[in-house]
Amino acid sequence: MKNLATLIIVFLSISLVTGQETTVKKGHYNTSKFRQLKQDLPTPNKQHTASGAPGAEYTQQQVDYVMDITLDDKNQKLYGFEKITYHNNSKDPLTYLWVQLDQNIRESHTKNDEISTRGTRALYSPKQFSDKFLSKGFDGGFKLQEVKDSHGNDLSYKVNWTMMRIDLTEPIAPGATFEFSIKWWYNINNYFIDGGRSGYELFKNDGNKLYIIAQFFPRLAVYNNVEGWQNAQFWGTGEFALEFGDYTVNITTPSDHILNGTGLITNLKELITKKQYNRFLKAQETFDKPVIIVTQEEADKASKGFSSNTKTWTLEAKNVRDFAFSSSRKFIWDGMAVQLDSKKVMAYSLYPKEGNPLWEKYSTNVVANTLKEYSKFTFDYPYLKAISVNAARQGMEYPMICWNYGRPKNKDILSDREKKGMIGVITHEIGHNFFPMIVNSDERKWSWMDEGINTFVQIYALEKFDSQLFPSSKYPKNIVGYMSGNQDNLTPIMTNSEDVKQFGSNAYHKPAAGLFILRETIMGPDLFDYAFKAYANRWKFKHPTPADFFRTMEDASAMDLDWFWRGWFYTTRNNDIGIKDVTSYRLTDKKTKRATDLLKKYGKNIDEIPASLYLVSNKSDDFNSVATDKKPQEIKILKKYLEDNNIALNESVIPNYFYEIVFEKPGGLIMPIIVEYAFEDGTKERLQYPAQIWRKNDKEVTKVFSSSKKVISIVIDPDKQTADVNESNNSWPKQQKSKFDSFKISTIKG
Amino acid sequence: MGRHRLKLLVALAILPLLAFGIHKYYISLTQVEYVQEKASLQIISRYFIDDMEYAMEKEFSQSFQLSTDQELDSIDLYYKKYLAQHIKFQVNDSLYQFNYIGKEYDDDIVYFYLEIPALHNLHSLEIKNTTLFNYFPDQQNIIKTKINNKHTTFYLSKQKDKGLLNF
Repeated sequence: MKNLATLIIVFLSISLVTGQETTVKKGHYNTSKFRQLKQDLPTPNKQHTASGAPGAEYTQQQVDYVMDITLDDKNQKLYGFEKITYHNNSKDPLTYLWVQLDQNIRESHTKNDEISTRGTRALYSPKQFSDKFLSKGFDGGFKLQEVKDSHGNDLSYKVNWTMMRIDLTEPIAPGATFEFSIKWWYNINNYFIDGGRSGYELFKNDGNKLYIIAQFFPRLAVYNNVEGWQNAQFWGTGEFALEFGDYTVNITTPSDHILNGTGLITNLKELITKKQYNRFLKAQETFDKPVIIVTQEEADKASKGFSSNTKTWTLEAKNVRDFAFSSSRKFIWDGMAVQLDSKKVMAYSLYPKEGNPLWEKYSTNVVANTLKEYSKFTFDYPYLKAISVNAARQGMEYPMICWNYGRPKNKDILSDREKKGMIGVITHEIGHNFFPMIVNSDERKWSWMDEGINTFVQIYALEKFDSQLFPSSKYPKNIVGYMSGNQDNLTPIMTNSEDVKQFGSNAYHKPAAGLFILRETIMGPDLFDYAFKAYANRWKFKHPTPADFFRTMEDASAMDLDWFWRGWFYTTRNNDIGIKDVTSYRLTDKKTKRATDLLKKYGKNIDEIPASLYLVSNKSDDFNSVATDKKPQEIKILKKYLEDNNIALNESVIPNYFYEIVFEKPGGLIMPIIVEYAFEDGTKERLQYPAQIWRKNDKEVTKVFSSSKKVISIVIDPDKQTADVNESNNSWPKQQKSKFDSFKISTIKG
Repeated sequence: MGRHRLKLLVALAILPLLAFGIHKYYISLTQVEYVQEKASLQIISRYFIDDMEYAMEKEFSQSFQLSTDQELDSIDLYYKKYLAQHIKFQVNDSLYQFNYIGKEYDDDIVYFYLEIPALHNLHSLEIKNTTLFNYFPDQQNIIKTKINNKHTTFYLSKQKDKGLLNF
């Protein structure tokens, strides 16, 4: 900045010395909205290449876990002992490791309380008041008992809130592995009271709890080629960055619980009744409808027992980035097999009876639909199962398992709204298996890379499931309200997860709407889908960055989309294209004033040039004197030219009407211009001018349109494909009736 | 006492935010235009139907099923009452009641058409919109006005629930 200032001063003094006019424009850097993103994207290298693919020197760590977990249902505590094997696949020796302690966000009065700037509430429950002003509130957070190396020696460590540094006595060399263990416990939160993506729900009518357990063990932070250690604190919004690895997890629960989680339960046969196990086997072969494995009757019976005996479930998962599980006496369990192109996978649901009749009817079917549709956009779902757990007020994703809200208020009347909410959330959370569980972007940094991309694919999966309930036609117009809002309240999509304003619109709906425009309007499905699939396949089981996505989409499609990324992802600009002016012309062989004047400017007399054709505007003074009723093919010199050159024409399509349209662009974004011309005879013609039409003039452009039929009206973007924030300039002639007046008239008529 | 207790419970049952795996956004948009030749203040106000349903069910203690086959025939009366409680127009220092023209559903959005007719002078306009604030702490009610060719945007929230314009 300082250099720039110096430069300006130097230039100023030069101009003073040389005595130049101060009115001369001083020049500027390249401000074209089409300039390439090269200066904004990280420089490509042999790890993240210029094509957007992982390069020859790309490395990724692997972390394997063997864990023994105990769920203490009586006291709502979780105990764990984990053995971690860290594989240093990087080229760097590591002198310390960073471990994530996400539960510490629930320590009483932590930093995220300190940065909360919400004012006083109007009223408090006694508990709310006590927690806030009198006591320490919920005693959450990890209670670390020991951190030891594989020989049983204590390891030195330092906890910095949600991150823990393990200090190594000797560096872990490139290619070496390091084994260590952590023993811990924590109080499980009632998420109805203390919030959170995990915890338990208490059913007051029968005293049972439904546990959804996640971020429950100290997890290794990511060490990668772009961040080094990704050890940004967990403030609550930016979710997780995690390494892939293999898990063996033994979980001890009360013996009357039903549990499921990431990975396959290897000892299931010993844990459920013979009848239930047979139903489980039947589900593996049933493709048309879910098979109930644990019935409501069985769940009801288990709910009354409160057994003090325990049992231990063993789960194994390969190549997953995380592990989560859910457990309760109340669970009904159903499942069915799903056929993908290359393999069979299982769709399951776990739900208390409070989720019925919605859940038994829809959940597993929605899981199956999601796996099929997302697989079409990316790759066949690589894991063997996916589970949808009914957890009130939740919507949260983990590998193979997710929590989804949806409890019907009235068992006899299922409202469309409840159905939509529940189908929507299941599709979204199951969809997260692809982004970010497999295409493993860094959520802590870029929420849009998983939420936005996932919300985009969700549009198509939902439409496939029920096109009446979930028409894709509401995209991208649903984002107009947000994009036309107060600029002070907007942040570009390319903003760190924690700094984003209006999170839902910014990280979910705007990127989804942008990709929808890209697929449907700018690239077309063929080019888009190939490139999108290339991105998904290049980066599955790896850590992509935004640049890898942007570059792959261009590299695999031969489309320069830098202008689109720059506008839609890097700015808060919006789209507003309008029709500024329309001039109609007729063809004539009589010399017009416009042509005469033009030639005069070059010192020529119009009578000296060979006979020519002229377009005369209806706005020009000589229109009446030079316009003819002759059709183009009746004009002598044109007729002769056509005959001499053997140009045969279909008379019905020879243009007789000529229009010059000036399009204006008050909006800051670049977009293609979609125009619909309506003719006298009731027919219409639609044209799309590519975005590059704005290359040399960002404010207005002129197009000529010719037709055999008279144009009576012109509309821009009639199907609302480009998120145009102002439709009042989209029509010629100007729409006379406002939306309000049209509605008012319709109610009077009705 | 019984009634007071019910209200207290309703106010405490503020929906916790959903975990971030899926995220709703809490925005409404109200467009206000003064059409001088008709002496009419025309208002189009849009909300997410599910948020509206949640708020109205709490406020009227009954079930609605908005925009479904099971919706009440008299639903407009409830809408009118709810909106009249939460949207206030103070024109030239006096409170004006709007006419409820009707509503229109578009997918998950409801549009309300409201009008203050016979408004010949407009010196000042204060708009207060507290719709949904009681139930959604992050709710933002955006007001866009077009009056005498001047465009203004207000962002109303629980902390600042009204905006004033002088002409």
